[in-house]
Amino acid sequence: MDHSSLAGRIFRGVALALVLVFFMFPIVWILLMSFQTNEQILRIPPHILFEPTLANYEALISGQLRTAAGNLEISFMRNLMNSFVLSSAAVLLALLLGVPAAYAFARFKFRLGESIAFTLLSFRFAPPLLVLLPLSLYYQELGLNDTYFGIVWVYQLIALPLILWIVRGYFEDISPDIEHAYRLAGHTWREAFTRIAVPLAGPGIAAAGLLSFIFCWNNFVFALILASADKQPVTVGALAFVTASGIQYGQIAAAIVLSVTPTLLLALYAQRYLVEGLSLGAVKG
Amino acid sequence: MARLELDSVGKAFGAVHCADGLSLVVEPGEIVAVFGPSGGGKTVLLRMIAGMFEPDDGDILVGGRSIVGAPPEQRGVGMAFQNFALFPHMSAQENIASGLRAKVGSGEVASRVTSISRLLKIEHVLGHMPRELSNGQKQRTALARALIGNPEVLLLDDPLRNVDAKLRYEMRLELPSLLRRSSAAVLYVTQDYREAMAIADRIAVLINGRLVQVGRPEEIYARPASVAVARLFGDPSINLAEVTPQAVQGALCAEIAGTRVLLESDERTPVDHGVCWLGVRPDDLVIARDFGEGAIPARIVAITPMHERAVLLLRFADGTEWLAALPPDAMVGSAEDSVFVRFAPDAALLFDRATGLRIGPQQRRQAA
Amino acid sequence: MLPYLLSLPALLVCIAILVPFVTAAVYSLQRYRLNLPYLRGFIGVDNYIDFLSDPAFWNTLRISLVYTASTVVLELLLGLGIALLLRRPTRFHNAVSIVLLLPLMTAPAIAALMWKLMTNPGFGILSYLIGLFGVHDFKWASDPSTALFTVVLVDVWVYTPFIMILLLAGLRSLPRQPFEAAALDGVPTSFVFFRITLPMLAPYIITASLFRLLDSIQQFDIIYAMTQGGPGDRLMVFQVQAYLEFFQYTNVGRSAALLMILWLITNILSNIFIKNWLRLRARAHGHA
Repeated sequence: MDHSSLAGRIFRGVALALVLVFFMFPIVWILLMSFQTNEQILRIPPHILFEPTLANYEALISGQLRTAAGNLEISFMRNLMNSFVLSSAAVLLALLLGVPAAYAFARFKFRLGESIAFTLLSFRFAPPLLVLLPLSLYYQELGLNDTYFGIVWVYQLIALPLILWIVRGYFEDISPDIEHAYRLAGHTWREAFTRIAVPLAGPGIAAAGLLSFIFCWNNFVFALILASADKQPVTVGALAFVTASGIQYGQIAAAIVLSVTPTLLLALYAQRYLVEGLSLGAVKG
Repeated sequence: MARLELDSVGKAFGAVHCADGLSLVVEPGEIVAVFGPSGGGKTVLLRMIAGMFEPDDGDILVGGRSIVGAPPEQRGVGMAFQNFALFPHMSAQENIASGLRAKVGSGEVASRVTSISRLLKIEHVLGHMPRELSNGQKQRTALARALIGNPEVLLLDDPLRNVDAKLRYEMRLELPSLLRRSSAAVLYVTQDYREAMAIADRIAVLINGRLVQVGRPEEIYARPASVAVARLFGDPSINLAEVTPQAVQGALCAEIAGTRVLLESDERTPVDHGVCWLGVRPDDLVIARDFGEGAIPARIVAITPMHERAVLLLRFADGTEWLAALPPDAMVGSAEDSVFVRFAPDAALLFDRATGLRIGPQQRRQAA
Repeated sequence: MLPYLLSLPALLVCIAILVPFVTAAVYSLQRYRLNLPYLRGFIGVDNYIDFLSDPAFWNTLRISLVYTASTVVLELLLGLGIALLLRRPTRFHNAVSIVLLLPLMTAPAIAALMWKLMTNPGFGILSYLIGLFGVHDFKWASDPSTALFTVVLVDVWVYTPFIMILLLAGLRSLPRQPFEAAALDGVPTSFVFFRITLPMLAPYIITASLFRLLDSIQQFDIIYAMTQGGPGDRLMVFQVQAYLEFFQYTNVGRSAALLMILWLITNILSNIFIKNWLRLRARAHGHA
């Protein structure tokens, strides 16, 4: 068990260092690139020490990209805003719809509930395009294509199952006696739900909400298929931006940094819930 | 106030009958203990009254009005749970105040919380969260929460189960007067016969979903309806022996380990029962050094103290082992001594061997 | 009544999943091209039969399976190794395991862009670094012979932490007694690892690999963002191929059939895994 021998400890230290370098280097390197001018980036050999510039971020935020060919309008900030709007709206809707349903699944054993939970879980593993491609045709008929509402609705396919499965577990951990005690004191089930069950499942609801936000934010294929440029989130927008800006590598790096920062911060903040959320509770086995 | 009536209430989970034709009336201000072994259906009974389960058949009435099918909040029922069921995100004060069903002003809430918590001696912890309370304080908070709303029916689910021995002893003394102040009809579930006897006006013995006996505590102790009830009441539990009662010169006698013992001087019990169980409580045994009429020779195998008494393990000639519980000053002899064991005829309880039901006159003990 | 009312929204989402799914199944049995709507009609399993003689389909199947196998095996080995390194719950190890979550929380499409920047043949830092070791002209994703390696590398970067975090949770939840007993008895480390650790960890390994397997065979984001299936048809995995069939060739029937086959494969895989998972979990919990 305990590799207390010197060789063992050196081996473990070196191995850990290599692991850290492999997984952290890309993030650190892109971060450094985002503060460099194109000339600094293109220098060979690359310099670790350089004079940082905020020009890339300024260009992105102002939406004006100066290239050799002249000024280029870029809508990257709009993509970033779209990501915020779409992910937040999707998570709010999913919480509104999913928390009561999770409560029903946890408190009442009924066949429809089991079927819904099973269907959602099994389609968590189905190819997304299998649902998305026919859905895009339906959307065209319904006029939902390229609308915020349409995208928020498909994001429910990501957020709702996650919220249902995580929050249900938290509700199941609350002793039903606690709610009964509240009801016997003259409160309706709705009051017991809002004043007892929801506050007690609060950490789980918050974690499920944060995770759903991360997964909605990180989603790529849904918006790629259903949204046009002015509704696209950063994941799709960044790809378009790479194509459009060509060789403005500093700006690309800055765009990447801006795209991943919100989720990485949230992930660090909610890290202790991630395991459970990532495995949909499978770890509890 | 209102009386609580159970009218042949039945409930089954699959093949398990948790309640089978339960009928019971609890008057306002009365405390009825529901006592029985675990798994006997006590908690399910309380939960049916509280509205967490609905009975399969029968009716539950409060003040003559059926509450079956009514949501818990409209039943006028208060309950203290075995695991306390305090709201972990509210202070003791808020927990107790949440039990006030009537819409009253905040000043009124505060004064009632103060008075109930003074009664239960928890004023000093009102600001604490449940996790900061000891089990005893949690229990008192839960009781205060159940009592503050003046429910018509108060259900207590083994409330002293999870508190320490000293507190349990104190609460046993305090609870009856506390509960009577509320003039609610009280059902008190417990697995401890002493607690039932100390707290309740009447005891309802619930075994395997059936009420096998309902009566005043001393009544049940003295005249248990069956062997099962007799064995549940008393610690050490009742001594049993297989005997064949016989009529001898107008009296009822039986042989125990070769000694003829008088069971009834005037033979009111018919003798045609054949083999019976004879039950004698350890407290009713008298130990003497010298032989006397109807005294069973025995050897003291071991002596052990228990609840301020000395408990003797006795072995008769045929190998039967009985326990005797004596006050310390009545001690005779020591281990390995030979002694003689007697008991008064009115201490002898006879039970049918097949059904376990007690046989004999109703007024047996009182006649003595 | 109440539970049904509360689960209504979830039911709606289920319908929103199931209706398109059934529609896709129906499309897969049709000749359905968006640009030739008047040709639309039921053709039975012709779409599926066509695949049998279509080298593009076999290429897709092969690439998908190779991609899946390499990513899952690499991520499993690496993830297990890292989990073992971080097994003792010291503050440093916990901090490392949290930091390692960051790649997993990066959008895979964005991760692909990060690696694209780093592997740029002109200025990419990785191209420069391997150049120091004498490897020149390494074109990463733009060269057919190294494209697969490159996207597998990105997948490993993003998803190894997933396996690591699950196995770490598993390792730390194992009972201590068997290990303490083995240590007292002086049992060799390799024996402890193969005969105690691995069997007890097996249910976690199965769960983690199943999650990864199902995600990996459906990988779209990384490959699409990196090369859109290219160079040529070098990275035409199922979902990228289906996407292009739909949007580029507007052949809805073929695209749907392709996705149905993928769905079938994921179902078969998950059934095999769940069966083994139940068996191994039973054994790990000591029931024969």
